[in-house]
Amino acid sequence: MSSLILLLQTSFRNIFSSFLNVVIGLIILFGTLFFVVGGSMVDSMDKSMSRSIIGSIAGNAQVYQASSTDSPALFEGWQIPDLDPIPDFSKVKGPLMSDPNVAAVVPEGINTAIVVYGNTIDQILEKLRKAETNHEPKEKIESLKSHIRQMVSVIQTDMGKLDKIASKGAMDPEAYKDISKASSPAFWDSFNKDPFGHLEFLENKIAYLVPDSDQIFLSYVGTDLDSFTKSFDRLQIVDGQAVPKGHRGMLLSKYVYENQFKLKAANRLDQIREAVVEKNKKIAKDPDLQDLIKQNRNQTREIVLQLDPLSTQKVMAVLQTTLGSKETDLPKLLSAFFDTNDDNFLGRYKVFYDQIAPYLELYRLKPGEMLTIKAYTKSGFVQAVNVKIYGTFQFKGLEKSSTAGSMSLMDLMSFRDLYGYVTPEKIAETKSLEKAAGAQFVSRDKAEADLFGGSDVEQTTQTKINDKTEMGGGTKLKRADLVNRVYSADEMEQGVAMGAAILLKDPSKLKETMKNLQAICDKDNLGLKVIDWQKAAGNLGQFVFVAKFILYLATAIIFVVALVIINNAVVMATLQRVREIGTMRAIGAQRTFVLSMVLIETVVLGLVFGTVGVCLGSGFVLWLGHSGVPAGNDFLYFFFSGPRLYPGLSVGSLIGAFVVVLLVTCLSALYPAVMATRVQPIQAMASED
Amino acid sequence: MNRNHFYHQDTKAPSKTKEYFNFSKPKSNSLKASLVSWCLGGERLLKVSLLLALMFPAAVFAGTLTKAEMVDVLKGIDLRIRSGGDYKALVYLEQHQKDKPDVAQEAIVYRRDADQKLMILFTKPKTEAGKGYLRVDRNLWYYDPTVGKWERRTDRERIGGTDSNREDFDQSNLAVQYEPAFAGEEKLGAFDVWHLKLTVKSGIDVAYPIVEFWVDEATGNYLKRQDFALSGRLMRTSYDPKWNKVYSDIKKDNLWFPKEIHIYDEIDKANSTLVVIQSVDLSALPENMFTKAWLETKSR
Repeated sequence: MSSLILLLQTSFRNIFSSFLNVVIGLIILFGTLFFVVGGSMVDSMDKSMSRSIIGSIAGNAQVYQASSTDSPALFEGWQIPDLDPIPDFSKVKGPLMSDPNVAAVVPEGINTAIVVYGNTIDQILEKLRKAETNHEPKEKIESLKSHIRQMVSVIQTDMGKLDKIASKGAMDPEAYKDISKASSPAFWDSFNKDPFGHLEFLENKIAYLVPDSDQIFLSYVGTDLDSFTKSFDRLQIVDGQAVPKGHRGMLLSKYVYENQFKLKAANRLDQIREAVVEKNKKIAKDPDLQDLIKQNRNQTREIVLQLDPLSTQKVMAVLQTTLGSKETDLPKLLSAFFDTNDDNFLGRYKVFYDQIAPYLELYRLKPGEMLTIKAYTKSGFVQAVNVKIYGTFQFKGLEKSSTAGSMSLMDLMSFRDLYGYVTPEKIAETKSLEKAAGAQFVSRDKAEADLFGGSDVEQTTQTKINDKTEMGGGTKLKRADLVNRVYSADEMEQGVAMGAAILLKDPSKLKETMKNLQAICDKDNLGLKVIDWQKAAGNLGQFVFVAKFILYLATAIIFVVALVIINNAVVMATLQRVREIGTMRAIGAQRTFVLSMVLIETVVLGLVFGTVGVCLGSGFVLWLGHSGVPAGNDFLYFFFSGPRLYPGLSVGSLIGAFVVVLLVTCLSALYPAVMATRVQPIQAMASED
Repeated sequence: MNRNHFYHQDTKAPSKTKEYFNFSKPKSNSLKASLVSWCLGGERLLKVSLLLALMFPAAVFAGTLTKAEMVDVLKGIDLRIRSGGDYKALVYLEQHQKDKPDVAQEAIVYRRDADQKLMILFTKPKTEAGKGYLRVDRNLWYYDPTVGKWERRTDRERIGGTDSNREDFDQSNLAVQYEPAFAGEEKLGAFDVWHLKLTVKSGIDVAYPIVEFWVDEATGNYLKRQDFALSGRLMRTSYDPKWNKVYSDIKKDNLWFPKEIHIYDEIDKANSTLVVIQSVDLSALPENMFTKAWLETKSR
């Protein structure tokens, strides 16, 4: 014991005895600091990311059909995994709920769809066609007509400009005749005599001249919306209202709503404002902001075509006053208005929203309106449904995350329509059609050999085709009924689901609960597989594993380097102390004493500097925990579960740091310690000579 | 190899089709025949063949068509497919896709070639009934009664989600739309065919800017077609192995249509489509039927 005390005293005394010790110490200090800070950051990110994933869509665990080719990947964007459907959700919900730790089982399915918007004039013509078909009030029809007339006038002006710069023959001469006809007073005077004939003319001869048709890609989760909103308590309704219980309907993600459905010029203004006000960026120094301004300056057509004649006059008056200009060309005025800099941007932003936006449709769609979306069904058909948009939503703390905001929410019945589950009836109908046609499908590799053996010509005769007979099986559609229909809980549950999110009462018991749930599924032959939220999140969920791997790899590299350097340094130090060790051996020091001396000296050195590293690292983490690490981009916003990550000290990292220091110092000192034990007293004397 | 006999095989009234193909047998074939007969025999055949191959363009011996002859071939195809009056056909479409069940649909195709109008109305299965396409001038519209919406589509539209496109059902305008080039004389199964390479003329919108046709020398029907993107990438291959003809009183000639079209997707190789034209009716159609309003009424 006295020897140990003596050795410890000597070790502490020798810490700063040589420059080499300081170098070794600093390497250990840096390694432990890195380990503590990195470990705490990764652990905090793990926790925040789990909050993001569990709280947005995944729940604590997911179940899906074990026979599926893929496994769920909830955040993979357009990569929709190939999952077999659960044919009847009601049959699996009960058994899953039998686990006492399960709070809710929410049916879910992910799909992607397309929303097609015709060009600007197509959209107004569609409104007019609907108004004429439904015999809507005369004022509304006249207003739409006046808007279309204004659009025709804009197109005619554009064509006039194009004619001056385009090469001869670039424009179809018929197009000039058609636009002249559409802009003539005679055309509009005779409109009411044959509205549909006039509409056909405008749709087929004029509308194609505006090439600004657009489509929006939507990712959505089909779910029992009532159950979903109750189970995922981070969900907040931003605009409109929640979908009433049992109704068909959709909630658009606020992020998607702002970025996809908003007037592009307004969205660009919002982006510039956020950068200028919240991120303190300067337009003069930021090429991205300058590019947004340039786009707004050049792309004024979207606004010009939105305005009817009266609105055009009012907007022009606002622009002339703001700019102090007498210009009467609206595109030129808008272009000048959007030409902003750091001095005038916020003022123009205010003018836009206060005085111009009231004349515009800022969003293509408002809560309460119908949206037509379509998707490829499981059987390959394109299926479209009309869904009422009740409002927009966001997940609290993840408002600006494109990842969390990528998914909109759709009712389960509409989801099932778009999914197009292949029922036995559908299969029978296909077989019947195939049989009636009597056609022989020929595989690609045999096509030329099988198809071109004999004569290719046959005389045939006409056969009367009766449209009504052929259409006999067609369904009569009742679109309005679908929108207003209220579905019972049984109707919602007794049908296809692609999987389900499981939310736990006590998330800390995730592993045990998953094990139990899998046992229930196997026992009841449900054919389901249970996975945790991390796996369900797809590649995103593996991010923390990757981050941890990188951290451990970097730490390992640092300490392997440290190990080699410490080893060499201690060897050199031992060689310098041959005389001292030889003398100690000559006066009776045992080999074990010498071994212990070298080991303890190195370990003490490591522990002292390691402790300093741990303290510095802890201090740094505590400071970060107070000030927060800003999320620089959308990706980090999701990982941080908000705009900033507030890391906390990880006990595991502190303990791990000390264990690693001990291990590295012991290993690095082992060889020189053994070498020191072999020093003979005679060597001390020889060196004296 | 006889290019002439098929132009006169129609037994009914004289046709315009014959005018387009009333050209005499090209001299190149006679020259080829005499040279070959002279050369046949022992080693001399090989030596002379090599010498001639160096001295003369290969096309002389391959039955090359002149540009005018190729345009006539295309005009012939166009004229045969064109209907003098109205046209209605009951069509079956079958789509095969990887890892998906087969899709079978039935549709009625309506055409009024004089006005360049086309309508495709899906009748089966029940879920698809009432959906349809309407082509008026440059516009191809798609109507879905389940949502009551019209959408503008391009000429590349996959009709009913299959590998077929509008041109497979519409009248043909090959001679107007494309510049032909001769690619060779080939064998396609039991058939001798001309291989033509067509490139779209400037300013004309078509589904595919480059198309290759394999035209039966004996009948003038195209049997195989390959569609390419502008980049030269092969997009799809289709076979039209059987052609039916039905006499049209208005046209005073036969109207030709492919009985079957086998289409193979060259991008997604697992996808293919079979189109069968089951029956054709040349009765007059209602005057106002090629309108949005008419198609909408079918599902109301």
